[in-house]
Amino acid sequence: MEKEILEHGLGMNRRKFLSRLSLGVGSAALGSLLIPDLFSGGKPNEDAIMDALPHFAPKAKRVIYLFQNGAPSQLESFDYKPLLRANMGMELPASIRGEQRLTGMTSGQDSFPLVGSYYDFEQYGQSRAWISSLFPHTASVVDDLCIVKSMHTEAINHDPALTFFQTGAQVGNRPSMGSWLSYGLGSENSNLPAFCVLLSRGKGNGQGVYSKLWSNGFLDATHQGVQFSNSEDPVLYLKDPESMSRAERRKMLDHLAEMNELNFNEFNDPEISAKVAQYEMAFRMQTAVPEITDVSKEPDSIVKLYGPECLVPGTYAANCLLARKLSENGVRFVQLYHQGWDQHGNLPNEMALQAKDVDQASAALITDLKQRGLLDETLVIWGGEFGRTNYCQGQIQADNYGRDHHPRAFSIWMAGGGVKSGIVYGETDEFGYNIVENPVHVHDFQATVLHLLGIDHEKLNFKHLGRRYRLTDVSGHVVKDILV
Amino acid sequence: MMSSKRFRGIFENLLFVWLGLSVVLLLGGQNLVLPNWLQIIGRSHPLLLHFPIVLILFGVLFQWIPGIDNNADLKNFGELSLLVGVNFAGLTVIAGLILAQEDYSGNTFDLHQYSGFGVFILGALFYFFRNLPKTYLKATSLVLAIGITFTGHWGANLTHGEDFLLAPILQEEVPTLAINDAQVFEDVVMPILETKCVGCHKEGKIKGKLRLDHITGIQTGGKTGPFVVAGNLDESLMVQRINLPLEHDDHMPPKNKAQLTDEEKKILVNWVLAGAEFDKKLIEMEPESEFFKLASLNFDESDNYNFEEADPSTVEELNNFFRKVEPLYPGSPALVVSYFGIAAFDPSSLNELDKIRTQVVQLNLNKMPLAGTDLSILQNFINLEELQASFTDLDSEQILSISQIPSLKDLSISGNKLSEKSLDYLSGMSDLRNLYLWETGLSDDQQKQLSSTLKYTNVEFGFDSKKVVYELNPPLLKSEKDMFGDSTLLEINHPIPSVEIRYTLDGSEPDSINSLKYEAPFWVKKTAEIKARAFADDWKGSPEASTLVFKAGNPPKELKLLTQPNAIYFGKGNLTLIDQIKGKPNHTSGEWLGYQDNHAEFVITLAENQKPKEITISLLYNEGAYIFPPTQVEIWQGDGSNWNKVIDEKPLQPKNIQPTRFEALTYGLPETDFDQIRVRLKRIASLPPWHPGAGSKGWVFLDEVSLLE
Repeated sequence: MEKEILEHGLGMNRRKFLSRLSLGVGSAALGSLLIPDLFSGGKPNEDAIMDALPHFAPKAKRVIYLFQNGAPSQLESFDYKPLLRANMGMELPASIRGEQRLTGMTSGQDSFPLVGSYYDFEQYGQSRAWISSLFPHTASVVDDLCIVKSMHTEAINHDPALTFFQTGAQVGNRPSMGSWLSYGLGSENSNLPAFCVLLSRGKGNGQGVYSKLWSNGFLDATHQGVQFSNSEDPVLYLKDPESMSRAERRKMLDHLAEMNELNFNEFNDPEISAKVAQYEMAFRMQTAVPEITDVSKEPDSIVKLYGPECLVPGTYAANCLLARKLSENGVRFVQLYHQGWDQHGNLPNEMALQAKDVDQASAALITDLKQRGLLDETLVIWGGEFGRTNYCQGQIQADNYGRDHHPRAFSIWMAGGGVKSGIVYGETDEFGYNIVENPVHVHDFQATVLHLLGIDHEKLNFKHLGRRYRLTDVSGHVVKDILV
Repeated sequence: MMSSKRFRGIFENLLFVWLGLSVVLLLGGQNLVLPNWLQIIGRSHPLLLHFPIVLILFGVLFQWIPGIDNNADLKNFGELSLLVGVNFAGLTVIAGLILAQEDYSGNTFDLHQYSGFGVFILGALFYFFRNLPKTYLKATSLVLAIGITFTGHWGANLTHGEDFLLAPILQEEVPTLAINDAQVFEDVVMPILETKCVGCHKEGKIKGKLRLDHITGIQTGGKTGPFVVAGNLDESLMVQRINLPLEHDDHMPPKNKAQLTDEEKKILVNWVLAGAEFDKKLIEMEPESEFFKLASLNFDESDNYNFEEADPSTVEELNNFFRKVEPLYPGSPALVVSYFGIAAFDPSSLNELDKIRTQVVQLNLNKMPLAGTDLSILQNFINLEELQASFTDLDSEQILSISQIPSLKDLSISGNKLSEKSLDYLSGMSDLRNLYLWETGLSDDQQKQLSSTLKYTNVEFGFDSKKVVYELNPPLLKSEKDMFGDSTLLEINHPIPSVEIRYTLDGSEPDSINSLKYEAPFWVKKTAEIKARAFADDWKGSPEASTLVFKAGNPPKELKLLTQPNAIYFGKGNLTLIDQIKGKPNHTSGEWLGYQDNHAEFVITLAENQKPKEITISLLYNEGAYIFPPTQVEIWQGDGSNWNKVIDEKPLQPKNIQPTRFEALTYGLPETDFDQIRVRLKRIASLPPWHPGAGSKGWVFLDEVSLLE
């Protein structure tokens, strides 16, 4: 009876409701006629890209990312913590450590003794930033740098952390940052790939880098990072095959393109045209690459700037020089990796060697871009995948100790390309363990880099397997405070 | 005449139609492809929306009339008003969703869209549940009224601009960077104070009783005196303090805090000089004043291009593999042109850019071979602001052309040697913002003079390599063959092309004066150790690099080993020493004989008529691998039974571990009659105390013996 009263009150019962609802469903069907692809695909990607692009002149045109693989210690480089030295060997208070997940390498330790930097710090430049004595050249360009001391990440082991930094996800298969830029902005110089990768290795304890880090993921294969090696052929398979002349090669490619076009007309597979484009680019790279890798036209002073090591192919210094040459020739994203920063033990020794490898050349790159008038349009980034603990791993000695992985706070620096110069951003507590001011998550960092290139990180996405992916996944805020 | 009940029925049904349509449009809206006629419905949204606002508010109002339930007519009227109003709300939502396809987005838009839809749903529910108890209804009616108000407000913001309603009473605080709107104090001076000073001089932390976080504080000053006195540098404490030396206790900002840049200092000082204005706009300042020139550098004018867009097909035509022509950003009329590929550069292609001479704002010609190219065409590029022409072999004529580009702000011509004339032309470019002159061959005086002439230009001279003195890398020596019959071609290279290479052929250390100067590859005709060093001005000479080339004599009839080498380093046995194959630096290569347990001893039987004057033994030294020079070399001549010792020498022993290297020991042979030569090389019996393997037996490694006549 209650039901009837209610129905009466509403002037409605189930039958009536359903019959009226059918009107609604009918109109839904009518509506769907207006939207041909309501139940199928989305907008074409070109439109999605256009949406993400700026309506103002972007500050940065190119990026050079000097990745310090293995995670350099922030406590021996840019995050000055005198308290750690004063309290050497004392226990890290549990209140500071909180619930932090530790790696298997120190989770078994029954003591977490604080350890201060073996190296002294001093303040430099107009920004009065603290920099350790391991990085004298970097200190000399400190007024061109924006040092971020409040980076934090989610991963605590190298591979996931590295993958997270490069692709926005801890598990592989997503496109790398350079691939996203190539996808969003295209190539500046159509004779070179938009995304190039250079590897070097220091003497310190190293961690691997894998090609998945510069993979195009689900994006078109043309956006993949191209690795330059330090052998006689910087780019593999670029030379004409033996006893084949350049003209013959041209003829062969023309015929191949014709055949591919026939195939394309039949199957409409975009991979076919991507392949043709790559053959063509490889052909043009045959002249473009030797022009770039040729160091002989560089003035002598370049060697003094980058240090004599830059003449030894495969070193970090040589890669920095090559990175500058690639970048000034319109390569959007040059990714360097320098391995050997994983100092679980023997930190004072190894860190000094590593710093010696990279200090001069990193600073030289800044100076070199600046003196050519290119620094304001090129964003240079220096940093690792996470930081290192403020407590000692293993046996603590006055001149020898190690540090484990630390995701909660670490330092990187950026320069040029629309980033404020001569500033230090973010702050950690006096133990250097937690961030107390202006935290910057990896996704915030990625959002900021995209922003500097004029890309809205929320809009640059790609639909794959039924969902839209972006570099910053589902989070990330542009760090406005560090923008010019 | 239609009964009122039937009329209501139709409108109630229609509600569901609007509901269905609007849900579909809302969900699928982004993918909508609109026929033109539907846009008319969309654009009627601003008209339609007035109906639901009035009718729903009117209908809701009836709920509040005391005793309404007892007046059937009045109640009916209110319900009808609500029903028609909700129907209009539905129509308005649909029209709105269609209109939304025309490029609306953003937070306000989302709020408006969802609240509008919400009002429609809530209104419909309100109508169907109109017989619920009064208290619920009154509460809901309030929500509905508020919802309508805000939806309308957000909608108005979309069409009339943000905060249209409240603008008269709101303080506008959106920072603007357009130079025409910039305020002297707010936008030029205050940002500097905020980043470098306010941290310590603010409410709650008023150091020196000085507050800089508001104008009053700045105008009042602090404990020791006024912060600024208009036009008076001496009495303005700010100017005094920032100009004190860094080490001075009163220097501001304090030594350990972020310091003012030179540019910031200049701006602050000139602000005081120009009258310490607080209320003026930047453009009201004297445009020739130092303050205006400094301050205006920081405001971007690049986004205010108002020239016509170039024809897109022209732009496309101008694009090719070696020249990129693209807008500054999508939709901008300004164009950026970059040239790539030195080998493919065609100077005449610059003329093609004439079609877009109004639109080009940036031109990149870095490294293109411009020598002799007429650049006067660039003067017609009236909006060209940035020109990059580093390392392009510019002459003074071309610099003159560049100096006449009317709007040029940024110029990089690093890597071009500049003549006095070029320098004169550059001195006249006082409107430049940035000028890059690294590697242009200017003397210190010339640099200083140019900097002082171009007061408002940031002139960058770049890295000065003269202050840095490094040791050069050693040169690389490459011989055609390590072991040769008649002669071998030797090439010496250095990665820095301008170095001078000096070399010696006798094993002595090369110096930069007396030693032979390397000009081109040369022929070596006898066994020799060639040593080379590189020298250059402003560099320390390189360490020496050396190579050993080895002349192979005529092969003897036979070579017989008297003692056996270690089984691991056995090579090809006795043939190893006369196969004329020089061993590689790696002693495990199989081209070496290695002796540890015994001394190396062998006998050579000469071929017929062979009369050697010299014997050379090729050895490998590598102390790290326990391979040492022989401690004693003994050579006998004879005929198989009578031996006559002709050589007994003790080669120099090393004092530390050195890099792996080759050695050739050569000894003259007396010209007597003999047909056999016996050689014994003693390996070191006990490694010296400084060696990690001190006390144990060392090794002797040899790979070749040659006899020269």
